[in-house]
Amino acid sequence: MQQQPQATPSPSPKPKKKIRVPRVINGVEQMVEIEVDADSGPGWGPNDKHTLLNHRLTRVDGPLKVAGAAHYTYDQRLPGMLYGRILRCPHAHARVTKLDTDAALKIPGVKAIVPAPLTEVRFAGGPVAAVAATTPEIAGDALRAIKVTYEVLPHVVHAEAAARPDAPKVVEEESNLQQKATNGDPAKAEAAFATADAIVEAEYTTPRVHHACLETHGLVVDYRGGDSAIVYASTQGTFTIPADAAKELGLEQTAVESRVDHMGGGFGSKFGIGTEGMFACRLSKETKAPVKLMLTRYDEFVMAGNRAGSIQKLKAGVKNDGTIVAMQARQYRLGGIGQGSQAGQPYIYSMGDTYREIYSLHTNEDSGIAMRAPGHPEASFAAESLVDELAYKIKMDPIAFRKKNLRDEVYHRQLDRGAREIGWSRRNPVAGGNPGPLKRGIGCGIGVWGGGGNNQCKVDVSVGRDGSVLVAVGTQDLGTGTRTYTRAIVAEEFGLSINDVKEQIGSSKLGSANPSGGSTTAASLSPSVKDAAIKARMMLAERVAPLLGNPKPEEVVFASGNVSAGGRSLAWKQACAALPAAGITSHGEWRADLQSRGIHGACFAEVEVDVETGHIKPIKMVHVQDGGLPLNRLALESQINGGMIQSLGMALWEGRVMDAQLGMQLNPGFGDYKLPGSLEMPELVPIIDDDDKREAVIGIAEGCIIPAVGALANAVFNATGIRVRELPITPDKILMGLMSSATDKHG
Amino acid sequence: MDSSRRKFLKGVGIAGAGAALADHLLLETQAKELEASPQTISGATKITLDVNGQQRNVEVEPRTTLLNALRNHLDPAVTGPKLVCDVGTCGACTILLDGKPAYSCLVLAVDTTNKKITTVEGLGSPEKPNAVQAAFVEHDALMCGFCTPGFVTTISAYLKKNPNPSLEEVREACKGNFCRCGTYPRVFEAALAAAKASSSSSSQV
Repeated sequence: MQQQPQATPSPSPKPKKKIRVPRVINGVEQMVEIEVDADSGPGWGPNDKHTLLNHRLTRVDGPLKVAGAAHYTYDQRLPGMLYGRILRCPHAHARVTKLDTDAALKIPGVKAIVPAPLTEVRFAGGPVAAVAATTPEIAGDALRAIKVTYEVLPHVVHAEAAARPDAPKVVEEESNLQQKATNGDPAKAEAAFATADAIVEAEYTTPRVHHACLETHGLVVDYRGGDSAIVYASTQGTFTIPADAAKELGLEQTAVESRVDHMGGGFGSKFGIGTEGMFACRLSKETKAPVKLMLTRYDEFVMAGNRAGSIQKLKAGVKNDGTIVAMQARQYRLGGIGQGSQAGQPYIYSMGDTYREIYSLHTNEDSGIAMRAPGHPEASFAAESLVDELAYKIKMDPIAFRKKNLRDEVYHRQLDRGAREIGWSRRNPVAGGNPGPLKRGIGCGIGVWGGGGNNQCKVDVSVGRDGSVLVAVGTQDLGTGTRTYTRAIVAEEFGLSINDVKEQIGSSKLGSANPSGGSTTAASLSPSVKDAAIKARMMLAERVAPLLGNPKPEEVVFASGNVSAGGRSLAWKQACAALPAAGITSHGEWRADLQSRGIHGACFAEVEVDVETGHIKPIKMVHVQDGGLPLNRLALESQINGGMIQSLGMALWEGRVMDAQLGMQLNPGFGDYKLPGSLEMPELVPIIDDDDKREAVIGIAEGCIIPAVGALANAVFNATGIRVRELPITPDKILMGLMSSATDKHG
Repeated sequence: MDSSRRKFLKGVGIAGAGAALADHLLLETQAKELEASPQTISGATKITLDVNGQQRNVEVEPRTTLLNALRNHLDPAVTGPKLVCDVGTCGACTILLDGKPAYSCLVLAVDTTNKKITTVEGLGSPEKPNAVQAAFVEHDALMCGFCTPGFVTTISAYLKKNPNPSLEEVREACKGNFCRCGTYPRVFEAALAAAKASSSSSSQV
């Protein structure tokens, strides 16, 4: 079927080169080496010469979403569909010794109950069994009617307690505290400290933070006992579903189609079928009926993963001229029963001779999983706080101090830009120096991310004889605007308007695509879309050439809805009439030269702290972000806003609270777990760094959540003179700090 | 709850009574009412709901929330209002009851048979959006879109009450709606733009 314009085989194989690209597994990227064509084809052209890309494009799925007409997994309702629910263990560590389902199965409408595969539960909320019933209410009745007998085992949920030698073991035979990695030379770092004029030593901690996707995890398994199934999933990876679902259903992988039309947020937490998918498949297999299993909000909090907590013990030495000469770090990843993640210190800064040790410290909590820039906001908060403390210690301007210890000039440019935008010159260099009781302060921070793509996307662009255009690929749109730029790339290539092109995504029956983790989607998908669009354009050009005086295909111009060459012009539809009855379809492959890797961001925050109540009011935030070619400026700015807002939550309000005795989460709902809301919104200024002239697509979503956390913490310090090293920065911590500093001065 | 309280207050003629007293009296009356008519509804009950101007027959249990009735019992389903928290903390299930915003997860379906229920689908369509819906698209006031129906519904109702709000009033109006992607600033922009668009179009009339 493939109709390539250049049919003549080249005499020698195309020159190849080896490059390293990220592959994402469960939201965490790993670098692998692949081979790509050295000589690729036309590029994007200058960033300021696009007709659609790098413009402000409204979302193509916007009209559906605002009218309630976009269908999410949660909205699926199939004939005969059953509703699944999961029964959860109330103990942080227990063994199920008896599961009595007799009474539950007698309730009219209860169709099946399946036990969890393991009988030992290592966190409160761990799954014990799942039910399927004809209504959600009856499924709830069934959960209440199941009688479980537990052998309760010792547990530990607080990090400090877990590190004690006599602490209950989270995993039998294993220490709760495990050293995972070291980096640098401890003796050299120790020696370098001797040359420092000043030293700061501090401990920074971040709590577990929840993704809080508004659409909970879950799927609808449409299996009715035949030899195929469709699985609707709220997922960040269409192609992460079929293999595992097929295994659970006892079907061939190719007999299972996954679909994700629209999805209500993932933020790193939605890859694979998960425990809920395993249960949904088993219930569907047993009942031979479609089963919908969406987690409840409570379920989502206690078992759908979270950003691992961190403890970072840092020490750095600085010379009076502002040069950091030494750093030591002891970093603890608090991933519950999982490993957690944390970027290594000294993060982005050059700090002379450095040494770090990284540990995993386990507790009886569900596993930390990837969350938007895993490990980075945590590391950035600690590094930015440390840098700020050093700058104040030697009485140097925090921006000048950062530049002194940052080799990458892009940060210098971004820091200057952000400083201008926030009005850094208004900032009182004396921390807490403004008159109260409402004290304002300004702080800053920086972040780094990869955002490069990989070669997993295969895209088809079809043009019909009637002029219709379809771009199809199995990828998913998490709300990042994938549908919109996919259309825009093709429309721009053909000189059409964005609504002249339709996109089809979200099915494993379409061309393969990578899972959306590590901000790899844009840089993986858009080169493949562009490649397909260029190939389709050349195919079309070849077909219409006879009508335009036989120009070479590359001489045919596609612009403003016309196809022209040598003074002759055809309207798009006239041109397409020259196509064969079946139209044409091109197949796009990834091109390394159309994307790049490596982004920078700088954030500035201004806050107002009431030193009588400790209440912190964010006033303004500015985030400067580079990212090569902005595919859609409107959506990119929204992403930057989103990063700032999620950072606000992490810095000031959010954190899981665990009860040591019960081993349970005390705030598993939006009533107690404080999300950023409309009343707390500061003025937000998202700035796309157009000084980045790279003509390449790079993913930016994760970069946007990194620098603001440190910026906010530093702004609070600048306002009050109180350094809160434990997130979230709540009023009690401010007041405690003010109280002890008053005692220091007067006591 | 609201309307029954009003009816009661009217009935006994103490419209000026303090809220605490009213609540106390309300409970007493309710208890008496229950004594007077021991008949309670249980099991599946057939009711008719007025949803977006259509009379919709549906079978629910007394405990079935309006949200659940719309999404899981009406056929075909009405899925614009989203189930996110199910306990009245997020606003994603916001609908209008006689034009007034309510969390449909906190209302029982059987209590809404005498009310006009409007969901986001009843405010406009993808082809014919209302001013708020159009402004949301124009200002990119949505990302994943799961909170969007709730925000659109809340703001559409608010602008009827206050056609020319300030930014602070808009923030206040949507404090009962959560967004996780971070669309707030653009939701505010869209609300203000919709107000402006509506007022200029109505002044042209």
